[in-house]
Formats: sequence, structure tokens, C-alpha cells
Amino acid sequence: MRIIFTVFSLMALLGNSFAQVIYTTDTSMVSFFSATPIEDIEAFNSASTSLLNVAKSEIVFRVPISGFQFEKPLMQEHFNENYLETEKYPYATFKGKLSDSLDISKDTIYSITATGMMNIHGQDRAETYNGLIICKDGRATMTCDFAISLQNHKIKVPKVVFANIAETIEVKTYFEFKPYEKKK
Amino acid sequence: MKRRNRTYPLILAFLFFLPFAGLAQDDLFDMLEEVEPPKQEKVSATFKTTRVINAHSIETVKGKTMDVRISHRFGNIYSTRNDNDGPDSFFGFDNVADVRLAVEYGITDDVMIGLGRSQMNNLVDGFAKWRFYSQTTDNKRPLSLAFVGNMVVNPSKKSAFYSGVNDNTVQTFGSAKKFFHRLGYTAQLIIARKFSPGISLELIPTYVHRNFVKDPSDENSIFALGLAGRFKVSKRVAIISDFFYVFSPYRYNQKGPVDFHMPISIGVEIETGGHVFHIDVSNARGIIANNFLIESPDSWEYAEIKLGFNISRVFNIGNRIKKAKEVTEG
Repeated sequence: MRIIFTVFSLMALLGNSFAQVIYTTDTSMVSFFSATPIEDIEAFNSASTSLLNVAKSEIVFRVPISGFQFEKPLMQEHFNENYLETEKYPYATFKGKLSDSLDISKDTIYSITATGMMNIHGQDRAETYNGLIICKDGRATMTCDFAISLQNHKIKVPKVVFANIAETIEVKTYFEFKPYEKKK
Repeated sequence: MKRRNRTYPLILAFLFFLPFAGLAQDDLFDMLEEVEPPKQEKVSATFKTTRVINAHSIETVKGKTMDVRISHRFGNIYSTRNDNDGPDSFFGFDNVADVRLAVEYGITDDVMIGLGRSQMNNLVDGFAKWRFYSQTTDNKRPLSLAFVGNMVVNPSKKSAFYSGVNDNTVQTFGSAKKFFHRLGYTAQLIIARKFSPGISLELIPTYVHRNFVKDPSDENSIFALGLAGRFKVSKRVAIISDFFYVFSPYRYNQKGPVDFHMPISIGVEIETGGHVFHIDVSNARGIIANNFLIESPDSWEYAEIKLGFNISRVFNIGNRIKKAKEVTEG
């Protein structure tokens, strides 16, 4: 009885690693850039999390707004307090479907589009983004650049600094995926 | 043994289906919480700069940045007991109660040092502030705590420093310790809480010590309790205020040669993203605690308030986000 039990439990536990379906973030970098003739503003964030479901071709990511690091600390405080209202809306999120099914176990390069909902500053918006996924040694690296319009997400810029902040912000994302293992 | 037999199949079934639990989870989005549970985050911007008006706020200058501060207090706008204050001094603009120039530097995001010079009593002050406990957004830590310690030196001419002092008083301290006379200290604990995005309050138990006092009946050590607040009225404008109660029988009973009145300040804070600008009215003359908790002869009662402003400009020393840039480019 005990032997059967042990064998079955071992099999059950091993089942976890049979088919790798879900991939999670290893390293991530989300940065944005606002360019105007008066001032260039940039910020970097390495605290994002993303999950990739290969079987369903689904992708989600979550970017903590407070993780954006600015060159000027006062500007960073300003960004959180007055523009993105981080205490009310702590995350920017995306939930979407990929245009192709991926096979990360094979070394390939996919040029891919993701269609889904982008939520920034509490405002949902349907978007389609083009990106690149490079698969190598059972891991995947995704890069995707896109633009975000402040108006679409109801981020208000006061007239005083209107000339200093671009209306559309260029965003660059970089995610490294590794097979997901459940934390014990 | 019989009992166990019954539980085995259950455990077996549970273990067998365990691996599918992950797959069966429909929403990839909900899984994010599991993979990366929300982190405890420090509350930001309890106050906007390192000072409320006269009082130290809980904030420190952020790491690798330098804050150049110019604080100015004009003379009394008016006085119901002194004819010279009012239109004749152009409502105080002709006079200077105190000016302080200072350079303050953030060693880390929680530790700062500063060096300043005040016009009042010629005090040169050096201080350090350490925010050792920070309120978190999930309220597991409900308060922020910081410690401020400073040392001041009065480098005035000998004749000015000992003016009005009985020679015997000076002798009792011993002439060998003359430099020691010129030193003074302040220690403050700051207990702050951001109650909502718009309301922040702090309590400031304070201890001030001077090695030498001119009047022998004056106290060398004085305790005070400060209360300060920030109330946002719009995204960029806030009302700020601070008040100190000084526990000093010498001052409280008005035994000294001049009156003493508790320093009360109220002001408006305007923030533009690069500058933080304060305009305030206060009965206090001094800008640092070693001055305004010791000498504050003017009173709100006689309309003896002064216009003052603080300008703070933060400069970056070194690259704060170099590492992040490298990752993006490399």
C-alpha cells in the first residue's frame, strides 16, 4: 500500500514538469521616453512581472508604477503623486493574445503581434502591439516598443508644463522568460 | 490503521490532481499575484521638502542629490506695540529677521547631512538626519520615524558674544573652555504619518542645549514639542503649518529681558517638479531650532508676523539611474 502510494505521489509531482506551459519573467526592463524640444524625460523600471501561457498563446504583464526610476527624484515623486496617481492606480497592466503559437523549446525568432487590453491610470484601452520573441535554450526574450497617448489614459498635464511633456510617450519593454516553477 | 486506509486515497487523489491545478487556472492574470505578491512599499511624499516651514519634516534629500536652500525672513509686517513696524519699514521688507544659506546632501535615500549659516546670531550649523523607519502603503508600518541631530557654532566676535554678560559669569565657566561656550545642540525625533494623499501630520519632540547662556537664570537645556502638518488643496499647492510648544519656565513666565512667544508659522507650498517654493508668515525670527526655540520675542497677538520664503533647488550629483540605463542599452 505504502509503496503504491509513494510511487503515485512521485508520479504526480513529476507531472509538474512534463509539459512546460507557463513561462515567467526572469529579468525585465520597461522604460519610457518623452521627448520635447525643451526637455527629455526618461524613466526605467526593472520591477515588472510577466507571464506567458504557450498553450493558449496568452500573455499578461504588470508594471508597478512606483518602480519607475527617474534621474530627478522630485520628478519621480511628481510623476507618482500628480500624473499617474500611484496610490490609486498602483499598476499598469496588459492582458492579451499572441498572433502565433510559440514553441520555446526550439531556437527560433518570432515576429509577433499581441492584441489585448492595456490598463494605465485605471483606463482600459484595446491595443495591438508588434514585438519580437527570440527563443534560445528553452528561454525566451521578448522586446516590444510602442507609444502611449496620455490623453487616452486620462493623464492630465497642466498648461504650465505642457511644453515639457510629450503627448505620446515612447515605451520600450524587454522581458526574459524562463520556465515557471511553482514556489513551495 | 483502518482510519489511515481511508485517508490515503484522498491524499493520493489530491496529489494526482495537484499538477493540473496550475494548468486549470484559467486566468493567467490572477496568477500574477501568486508569482509576484505585491511588495510592501514605502509611502512617498509625506512632505514635499526636508522642512515644513521652520520645523524639519520627515523627508530627507534623496541619495546622490544636493539641495541648495535659501531661506529668508523679513521684518515684522506690522506691530500694534511698535510704531517702527508697518508702513515705515515697508511692512518688513526693509528689515531682515534671518537669512540662512545651506547646502544639504543625501548620502542614501534615508540619510542626509547639511551645512548652513544663519544671519541670526551668526550661527553655523551642521546636521544629520536619518529616516530609520518608513510608513508603508499597506499600513503594516503605520508611522515614519526620523532622527535629526545638529551642532551649531557661534563664531561672533568676542565682544559681541559676551556682550551684556557679567564678567564673573564668564569666569565661572573657566576661560580655558571659551570655544566650548560657543557650541549648541539640537536633537529631534520626528514621528510622522501620511493619513491620506492630502493630509500629513508629524510630532516633533525636541531637545535644545546651549553650553553657555547669558542670563544665569536661563536654562541651558530646553525641551519643546512641535506639531506640523501639510494639507493639499490642489495637485501642486498645499497649506503647511508648524507650531512649537517650549517647556521653559524661564520663557513661559516671561522672566527674561525680552518676551517669548511660541513660534507659530503658516504658509503655502507651491511645487513645480523642479522647485519647491514656500511663502509663509510666522512670528518666529530664527530659521533653525537653535534660534527660534530660544529667542522668539514677537507675537501673533500684536500682529508681529513676518513674511518669509524658502527656495529649494535640487541638483543631481552622480548618475542615479546609470545601472538601469546600462541594462536597456546592453
